[in-house]
Amino acid sequence: MKKLWHLREFSTVVILLLEILFFTWWLWPEGSRPHPFFNAGNFLLILKYSSIYGIAAVGAAIVIISGGIDLAPGAVMALAGVVGAQLFVVGGWPLAPAMAAGVLVGFASGLLTSGLIVAIRLPPFIATLGVMGITRGLAFIITEGQYFDVSSRLVGGWRPFGLPADWVAPIILLVLAVIFQILMTAFQWGRSVFAVGGNETAALFSGIAVPWVKTSVYVISGALAAVSGIVLVLVQGQGKADLATGYELDIIASSVVGGASLAGGRGSVIGAVLGTLIFGVLRNALPQIPGATFYDRLIVGLVVIVIVVVDQLLLKKRA
Amino acid sequence: MPSTAGLQFRDVSRSFGAVRALRGVSFDVVEGEAHGLMGENGAGKSTLLKILAGIVQPDAGEIHWRGERLHLGSPRDALERGIGMVYQEMLCFENLTVAGNIFAGREITRGGRLRHAEMRERTRALLDELHIPISPDAPADSLSTAYRQLLQVARALAFECRILVLDEPTTSLTDAETDHLFAVLERLKARGTTLLYVSHRLPEVFRLCDRITVLRDGAYVETCARRDVTPDHVVRAMVGRDLPPRTSAFYAARDPRPALAVDGLGRRPRFTNISLTVNEGEIVALFGLVGSGRSELLETIFGLYRPEAGRVRVGGREIHVSSPRAAVAAGITLVPEERQRQGLFFNLTVRHNLVLPDRTLRGGLLVRTAEERRAAQTLVDTWRIKTAGVEVPPDSLSGGNQQKIVVAKWLATSPKVILLDEPTKGVDVGAKFEIHEIIRREAARGAGCLVASSDLPEVLALADRIIVMREGVIQGQLSGAGATEESVMRLATHKGAA
Repeated sequence: MKKLWHLREFSTVVILLLEILFFTWWLWPEGSRPHPFFNAGNFLLILKYSSIYGIAAVGAAIVIISGGIDLAPGAVMALAGVVGAQLFVVGGWPLAPAMAAGVLVGFASGLLTSGLIVAIRLPPFIATLGVMGITRGLAFIITEGQYFDVSSRLVGGWRPFGLPADWVAPIILLVLAVIFQILMTAFQWGRSVFAVGGNETAALFSGIAVPWVKTSVYVISGALAAVSGIVLVLVQGQGKADLATGYELDIIASSVVGGASLAGGRGSVIGAVLGTLIFGVLRNALPQIPGATFYDRLIVGLVVIVIVVVDQLLLKKRA
Repeated sequence: MPSTAGLQFRDVSRSFGAVRALRGVSFDVVEGEAHGLMGENGAGKSTLLKILAGIVQPDAGEIHWRGERLHLGSPRDALERGIGMVYQEMLCFENLTVAGNIFAGREITRGGRLRHAEMRERTRALLDELHIPISPDAPADSLSTAYRQLLQVARALAFECRILVLDEPTTSLTDAETDHLFAVLERLKARGTTLLYVSHRLPEVFRLCDRITVLRDGAYVETCARRDVTPDHVVRAMVGRDLPPRTSAFYAARDPRPALAVDGLGRRPRFTNISLTVNEGEIVALFGLVGSGRSELLETIFGLYRPEAGRVRVGGREIHVSSPRAAVAAGITLVPEERQRQGLFFNLTVRHNLVLPDRTLRGGLLVRTAEERRAAQTLVDTWRIKTAGVEVPPDSLSGGNQQKIVVAKWLATSPKVILLDEPTKGVDVGAKFEIHEIIRREAARGAGCLVASSDLPEVLALADRIIVMREGVIQGQLSGAGATEESVMRLATHKGAA
């Protein structure tokens, strides 16, 4: 128990559970009607939509731990999504290669970002702001403003690996989160990421290949954003250029709520995933509260601040 | 000299924790004279200046000016009393213009609005007076180092300044630039401004100052008139303390094999044409004062900077280090000067900090926690690092123990060449002794150790051979056995001495 208390993710889990308890109580239905929030179907819905943010948040958390920032995930999601959708719908490609091509787009944008940061030495904020504009712009140029209707080409009852379609996103997230959590904690590469984020000069002096570490984190972030873009297209059934607009800020906020420090060197992949679930529950439950429609963005903003402040207080207490 | 005029320090003391930076220092500065303040690193010069600038308050003692006691509670108090400061590290607002810099924090306003025209005019008059040919509207970041330094002088003089204090103002200036600065200072002296000039460069002090006060280990040693003393006298006054007993056997290689050979290495303006050899098992000290280029030389050998010229050989084989990673792979390690900035990861545990260079060097994919814990515990025991365990963050350790981590983690890689930059800066005597022991043990193992230091007793106690650097060139070599503080200091401060 003591060890649990010292785990950084502990408080995030507690917040998530408190949040679920709160909405279960607040939205308790009258009489014998089914609970609108606390039911299996709704939880699957929350999981499905949170996973789209979560996959990209895994990459964002790694970038933030390395001391950087990535503003491009939302735009990369859109570009990867429309490239995949266009190849699938217009190009007539089979589903798997079309989607793989979309993921390659994410790799490419990650390489571009790391080139700007490592070779040209742009600050990450500026580099990724630029890449955000480029990728979003390319998405509009490619689509010329049209929709690609993916759902009509997906045969009814599409069951990848024999699973119901709703489960695809959560399972991809689970697999990626576990892989990257292990890479970050049990592998030399992960420790290099923490070292670069904690003290870049000391990392350089320690013989760590700092440029290579930076390149790797932005490529991973780009690729994971692309995966989540593909998943978003499959879930929504259509590819369009304004997909995932503004997601980058929610993704960064999820990582921070999950314990990542924007100063670098602290955070975790699991924390970022838990952070997206906290937001997922909010996004799902708030619209169900009568009269709260216009308040949900405000509440989400307040929640970010409160969680981070409470976390810092707890951190001091635990130290 | 029992006078009431001028600037008088009376029994000024100040401690930082257990360190007594100043112990009852008393001396007088006559109004209108140029007074040199000299001492080694750590002699208390900077603390005294900070007290005069109102940055630090004395624990005891008084400062009088023209017979009146000064209460300097803040930098603003000092400025209002007419005390202007020119610091070693230049405090320049690179984003402002020359005029903006001069009036920064003390802008001329009317009704809250900045009077740009008036400030420009007064800046122009001031620059003309000092014969500084720059425009008031020039952006500060377009100025050379020398003009930035002169800008600091101008800034100090922009408001009535009766005492101008200069702390090592020529550290980053060339000879010609120093001449210009000195011409300006001579004019100020002629005008009646009292100058307090802090430096450990003897020729400059002897050129400018009428009288010289020497501090040593926080205590006043003497004040002498320039015309009565020789530079050697002042050097002896600066260093004349009992030497700590030498504890190491001298290195005596029958068959010296070079571990590190540097040939004609240069990276201007930091250093030029550096050639030196460090043999296996030998401890070579690289002595030089701040700004002599010793840190930059080590960092260049370590691959942080690309040299313009020259070769580096390790164990007789020429290496081309383009990055610290390549240097580590070639068997060179650097224990950096600023351990907080360059050596420690405060977000990682003591274990991670201790094993990181070794694990990085060996490659490998996985983090082997159990093996690392053993390795880290061994290092903690070997170097007697006082820590609550290997899984705590390094900021829970004392400064000396943090320093030991930085040293120990590097030595865990068993390097052939160890470069150490001020390895005992800011640590207490006990930890200093242990770090010296570690260096000797590494040398006994066969590593070539090159220790950059500005700490004379350390250099004399540790080194088999001493190489003295000044202003980016090697001034000479001394054998550890024959060297004295005077002979080393003379090489480090005199031009053209042998």
